Amino acid sequence: MLEATLNMKLLEMCSKCGACFSICPSCMHIPGYDPREVIKDILDGNHEKWLTSKHIWQCLECHHCLEICYQHYGFENAMTALRTIAARKGVHPAQVKRGWEMFVKTSRLGEPALPARKKFGLPEPKASGAEEFKKLMALLKERRGHKGE
Amino acid sequence: MKEFAVFWGCTIQTRFPFIEKSTRTVLEAFGLPYRDIDGFTCCPEKSLVNNIDHAAFVLTAARNVALVDELGYDLVSPCTGCVSNLATVSCELKANPKEKDSVNGMLKEVGREFTGKAKLHHLVPFFHDTVGLLAIKQKMKRDFSGMKIALHYGCHMIRPSHALRNDDPLNPQKFDNLIRAMGAESLQFLTKLMCCGQGLDRIDEHDRALHFARIKLRELKSIGADALVLCCPSCFLQFDNNQFLMEKEGERFGIPVIYFTELLGLSMGYTAEELGMTSHRVDCEPFIKKWESLANKPSREAAIEEGLSGPNLLS
Ligand code: SF4
Ligand code: SF4
Repeated sequence: MLEATLNMKLLEMCSKCGACFSICPSCMHIPGYDPREVIKDILDGNHEKWLTSKHIWQCLECHHCLEICYQHYGFENAMTALRTIAARKGVHPAQVKRGWEMFVKTSRLGEPALPARKKFGLPEPKASGAEEFKKLMALLKERRGHKGE
Repeated sequence: MKEFAVFWGCTIQTRFPFIEKSTRTVLEAFGLPYRDIDGFTCCPEKSLVNNIDHAAFVLTAARNVALVDELGYDLVSPCTGCVSNLATVSCELKANPKEKDSVNGMLKEVGREFTGKAKLHHLVPFFHDTVGLLAIKQKMKRDFSGMKIALHYGCHMIRPSHALRNDDPLNPQKFDNLIRAMGAESLQFLTKLMCCGQGLDRIDEHDRALHFARIKLRELKSIGADALVLCCPSCFLQFDNNQFLMEKEGERFGIPVIYFTELLGLSMGYTAEELGMTSHRVDCEPFIKKWESLANKPSREAAIEEGLSGPNLLS
């Protein structure tokens, strides 16, 4: 599953580089946050131990590492892959679970604040695409079922 | 100018309707051909949806872009997250014909098609490139000379650059150019491009989120910034709401957080009230007061003129 989303060759290069460490805000300001450690473990075949670590969720997806990287790759790819695996195993943060549930149920992360809209003289909100969205999510599930995922 | 749909996104419509207010106000005032269209859903939010299900992330974003494609419009958003997510997916599908076909296979079932024709803009680079600095200067009633503004670009206004292609992702200039065109000084400071850290509030790490806000706010206080100007609802939440929470606990920064559209609106003669700025949690009064006091001061030229032509002790 890991190989499917991560390029081990690029990660090998990372293990010899580490340039983005010095520009990553979480590396600078969160004690113990160090994607270099995570990448080392992935390359050694020990990614499992990170799945329950809060550090994989502390990547802010700011894309600084991607932009400074000579491979246009970035630490974030390793963190995203591990987050996805953690979520598939159900060990993701409670708040992320709640947000995801709201998203699949309503197609949004909150509904327009109607009283405030009135106060500011804003027009009626436009129709939502929730019905179509639900059809698509069902379709996605169905196609996955066929592929036996 | 090509017609464009505005993508408001969940956060602005749910939590900050006043941002929609100031955005509509300036779009109207410039007479821009903006449209509200039916059928948008969440963009969707990357850190949440993409981490859990990449295919759902791609399909949802592709459908949103398809709505705009069909109408032949472009898209403009005052939310950095929304535009970055939509552009990321659009770029991915354009580069992967196979993935695009499979996505379109599903979209067809609901009568949609992603072509990727629509240009996807963030409001700030859109004002810079498409409206233009000259048009902005012509609409302004009063500039901000004498005011010191700290800009926060917001990571996703400019990154990932392969998808957005709108500015230098590590040394952006366009927001600075806009602020300078409006007469203010754009302060240069160490944490200028540092991520706001609001993401930490979405993974049950509130104290760390506060700490990220604190790092930047401390620096802004020490360099005497009159305001922090930004154009992202997530960053706004981080610096306005979380600053307010820290102030309640006795840590005072006093840095008003002003949305780009509000600053533009003020310069065009709208009041803070009309722009919805009185709904902020951190008071904007100090900024407005200082700006007003500068208006009452005679201009540099007038003051020198008076000194040169006034009473002369030598004669
Ligand atoms: S995207 Fe994540 S790993 Fe990369 S610089 Fe930002 S916080 Fe660090
Ligand atoms: S992501 Fe790029 S910059 Fe960072 S360590 Fe790997 S190769 Fe170096």
